[in-house]
Amino acid sequence: MWSYEKRLQYPVKITKTCPKTAQLIISQYGGPDGELSASMRYLAQRYSMPCKKVGGLLTDIGTEEINHMEIICSMVYQLTKNLTLEQAKTAGFDSYYIDHTAGLWPQAAAGVPFTALEFQSKGDALADLFEDLAAEQKARTVYDNLLRMIDEPEVREPLKFLRAREIVHFQRFGEALEMTKDKLDAKNFYYFNPEFDKAMAVKAK
Amino acid sequence: MSDICCNALAMATVPIQEWCKPYDWKTALKNGTIFPSLNLEFYKAEQINNPSSAPTGQESALNEISEIGFAINDLTLYLDTHPDCPKGLSLLKELLEKRRTLLADYAAKYQPLTQLSMITGTPETNVYGWAEGPAPWEGGNV
Repeated sequence: MWSYEKRLQYPVKITKTCPKTAQLIISQYGGPDGELSASMRYLAQRYSMPCKKVGGLLTDIGTEEINHMEIICSMVYQLTKNLTLEQAKTAGFDSYYIDHTAGLWPQAAAGVPFTALEFQSKGDALADLFEDLAAEQKARTVYDNLLRMIDEPEVREPLKFLRAREIVHFQRFGEALEMTKDKLDAKNFYYFNPEFDKAMAVKAK
Repeated sequence: MSDICCNALAMATVPIQEWCKPYDWKTALKNGTIFPSLNLEFYKAEQINNPSSAPTGQESALNEISEIGFAINDLTLYLDTHPDCPKGLSLLKELLEKRRTLLADYAAKYQPLTQLSMITGTPETNVYGWAEGPAPWEGGNV
């Protein structure tokens, strides 16, 4: 169960309309390595995790990713809330405008709609944790690329914060991997799947 | 972790973080972590110190809630993988106490940010207040 706190995890205060920047940043809402994908990935994987502490971590990081989605959406909103038709036409925002006006819709920078195909829930603890480690790295790359491309300080500050979170989450998933390895056969980590072969998982413990 | 893990082929290892003295909470929020050891900067992301003007009373109150709230977020993830760390746990309790007070004060002076702060901050009022003030995505609170 979730409850709402009426504030952003990191403040967003963007004063200049810039549909071009909005179009780039929206990828972290609905793109392949975006925050929506991240939250759904972790919150889907947690149910069958064999290590209870890892299930707890996935809940907490998955929850934080929803906060990040809210930060990204707030940035897109503030970059486009005073959009004029002329700005939409010239900034490459025209095709988005036709379908969504200045409303929020999860898509990648290139216009590809959000899809659950962009993340996995594999029912295998090692496969899922390696996906999570990779996901944090890919999101970091997107933030690096956005920081290379965007100069406006009021846009860069939240992007820098979000980039830093990817590195912290990578560290925590790495620690979750170590906790999961403790539950496996140390001579052969691939001998059984602790999410499915439960009797063997109990024996190994 | 055990030596066996480190010697195993076809397996990756990430070192376990050791406790280090956290930043002050304002610096922590700016840098996206309370732990100096996890603050790994990017050469294209220069440090900008306070680009905006000095915050007003309400904004600075909200900033403090954000700083304490973020410290709790980051510390929670640390404790998820270090549940036996006494320093982390006592700091978490201290921060949770602080958060409760800050949220109650904010509700009393401005608007509730959580439903719980309707009873901790404004127990006497007949005003619902949940829709008062700007939405979080509107940018600032003044």
